[in-house]
Order: sequence, then structure tokens, then C-alpha cells
Amino acid sequence: MSPNSTADAPTLSLRGVSKHYDDFDLGPIDLELEPGMVLAFVGPNGAGKTTTLHSTMGLVRPDNGVIEVCGRVNDTNRPDWKQDVGFVGEIQGHYQSWTVEQNLRFIERFYRNFDRVRAEALAKRFGLRLAKRVGELSRGGKAKLALVAALAHSPRLLLLDEPTAGLDPVVRAEVLDVLWEFLEDGERSILYSTHVLSDISRLADEIAFLRDGRVVRRDAKDALTDAWRRLSFRYAGELPALGTARRHRRSGDEHELVTPDGSSSVAMLRELGAERIQEVRMTIDEIAVEILREGHHVASD
Amino acid sequence: MLLQLTDLSDEPLHSQLSRQVRAKILAGDLEDGESLPSIRGLARQARVSVITVQRAYEDLEREGLIVARRGKGFFVRAMGEEAKGQLARERFSDALRPVVLEGRAEGLDDRTMSTIFNAVLDPDSSDGEKS
Repeated sequence: MSPNSTADAPTLSLRGVSKHYDDFDLGPIDLELEPGMVLAFVGPNGAGKTTTLHSTMGLVRPDNGVIEVCGRVNDTNRPDWKQDVGFVGEIQGHYQSWTVEQNLRFIERFYRNFDRVRAEALAKRFGLRLAKRVGELSRGGKAKLALVAALAHSPRLLLLDEPTAGLDPVVRAEVLDVLWEFLEDGERSILYSTHVLSDISRLADEIAFLRDGRVVRRDAKDALTDAWRRLSFRYAGELPALGTARRHRRSGDEHELVTPDGSSSVAMLRELGAERIQEVRMTIDEIAVEILREGHHVASD
Repeated sequence: MLLQLTDLSDEPLHSQLSRQVRAKILAGDLEDGESLPSIRGLARQARVSVITVQRAYEDLEREGLIVARRGKGFFVRAMGEEAKGQLARERFSDALRPVVLEGRAEGLDDRTMSTIFNAVLDPDSSDGEKS
């Protein structure tokens, strides 16, 4: 940890952050991340995930609001707070004509806690060759370099924007292993932006859903997978509206629907006299699709 | 502590965790007063999130199987063999009850179910339905 940052402050705090563009409004966003926690940040393309991360990194200047990293405002004129962050995103300022090693040596100068041994060990684990020119790296190779560069100074906050895009399954697994190790002391947190939730279905503690520039929900992952169910049952009559259940399909007397509250939907169906009620659990990806669909309501039939 | 967790099960990860730790306690693999892995340590080792382990430990704590000591972590509660046996018996009959109800609903009489139960207990005996 760098001096002046506070151990018990949230690793990330956004309060009332907003930014106006001609075709898009971000926020206002309020978001807090406690040490030790992993927050998955999901939403469709254009929902504002990247703009939020860029605002945190000082790459975008919000019109309103305050952003703090480990208790310090992310003031680009006083960049000491950057010691506490590692960022992996689409924009990476690596020198294309330099080798991986030359780039890492350059980055090293900006971080007091940069650990060259750790950087080289990570490169080895990811199968990233130090002598290769960055311009000659594949998309996956660039992603590996970004991860090494973000982790080498052991930041307290890791901001990851689709970090495993372009990586093969073996390297993805290695990256997840590294992230688990990163979290082990309980002082560090990860904000992981993705639209492939299955990648971090086990790593994430919570999920924040972003739509049209706003965080529409934030839930504990286990609470979601405990509550959501896909139900099938038999019922002869006209089915009345069942609370928050949606995506009702019917074939003869057989019905199927999806519900954010399995136990109360099952209770309602029993009350109605529905028969052969069966429930199946849903994956976190299926649940995320249902939640993100809520904004685009089409008639459910 | 080695645990076997799978994403392919209908059972949520936190209950897979609590079920396996509970079994180790009730079977005596974990002794009275023995310390459990830290939440973070187990999360990393089992490749699940911190909240998932927290949830499993909280459930076990509520059941009286483990105790939290401030700043020291979680420990197996000293509850004695008798209480452990009692708890295992209760859990077993709770798990069996819906199966019996379902069997009845599907037309099995109690004697048939009892025969099947014995055959399941001792698959080698030719007493069951299958030869």
C-alpha cells in the first residue's frame, strides 16, 4: 500500500459521477467497493462500463461527482493515487516498437512497489515472451502484457475491462488463478467488467448491472442463483399474471416461465392448482440476460 | 481440507461447501475445537468467492456446528458424540421424508419401500427387486 491511502477506506468509491455526451449520458453513478471483494460489472455494449472505468483512471473527466481510490480523490494533477490501481483495458499505452521487457522496465519507473521478479514470473506463467516486440504480439499477447503490467506493483484495486478477451482457455484459467492469489490477503479488490459472466461465475462476490449509463441493480451473486428459477408445470385454464414471473411459454396445458423468486412463484402455482411443477436453477449468465432484458419490455407471451 | 465442488450440480456452491464440511464434522474427520480454514484461504483453495464461503460458514454456525472467535477464525464446536449422532439422524430422516412421500404418491406401499430401502443398504444381497 502506498503512503496516505487508508487501509479501511473503500478501495473504490464513486459518488454522483455523471458525464454527458451528445448521444449518451453516463450516471449519476454511485458505487463502492470494499477491500477483499470482487464486483462483476455487466451490461450491454454501450451501457457505460468502459466510460466508468476510464473516469476512474482519469482518462475521462466526469462533469459531476467524486471518485476516490483507497480514500484519495483521483486527481490527475496529483497522481499518487495511481500507485494503488492496476488497469487492464482496451487503451494500453505500450510502445509498439519496444519489446515486452523494455515496456515493463519503462512502467517500473512510475511505481514504487513495482516488483520486477513478480512481473517476469507472471509473464512466464502466462506464456508471454519478454523479448518479443509489442507490435508483433497477438491480441492475446497484448492482453497478457496488460495483465502483467497491471499486477506487477500489487495494486489494491484492479480494474479489468474484458481482460480475458483473446486468451485461450488455458491462459484464462491461469489468469483466474493469479486473481485468486491477488485477493488472498483480503486487502485488495477487483472490479471486473465483462459480458461473459461464466468466466467469473465463481470468483465474483457481487454483480452490478449497468444499463443506459446507470447501475440498475447490485446483487450478491449467490442471492441471485438461489432465487431465480425456470419453472415448468401443467395448468389447463387461462394463467393469471404471476407477480414478477416472465417469459411465459405455453404448449397445450404445459407451461414454462422464468421467475426471479422461485419459492413464491411455486407457492402461487400450487395455490392455483398447477400440477407437476418442476423447477430448475439458472446459470448466472442466464439470470444476467433476464435482468438486462427488463428494460426492453416486450409483451410476454 | 479438500472439498469437491462442481458447477454441474443443481446444488448451489455454498450448500455444497456447507454439506461437505458438515459431513466432515459429523463423521469426526474434523475434531472438536479444530480450527477451520480461513474464509479467504478456503475461497482461494476451493476457487469460490469470499461471500460463498462466508455464507457456508454462517449456515454451519447457525446450525451450531462451528463457532466464530473474534479475530481467530472459525472452529468446530465441541458438541459431543451424542449430539452429533442426533443431528445426523435428524438430517437423514428429513432427507428421507420427501422421498417416501413421493414413493407413496407414485403408488408404492410401505412394505415395498422398506424392501427397496434394505436392498439399497445392501446391494449385494439378492433380496431386492433386481437379481
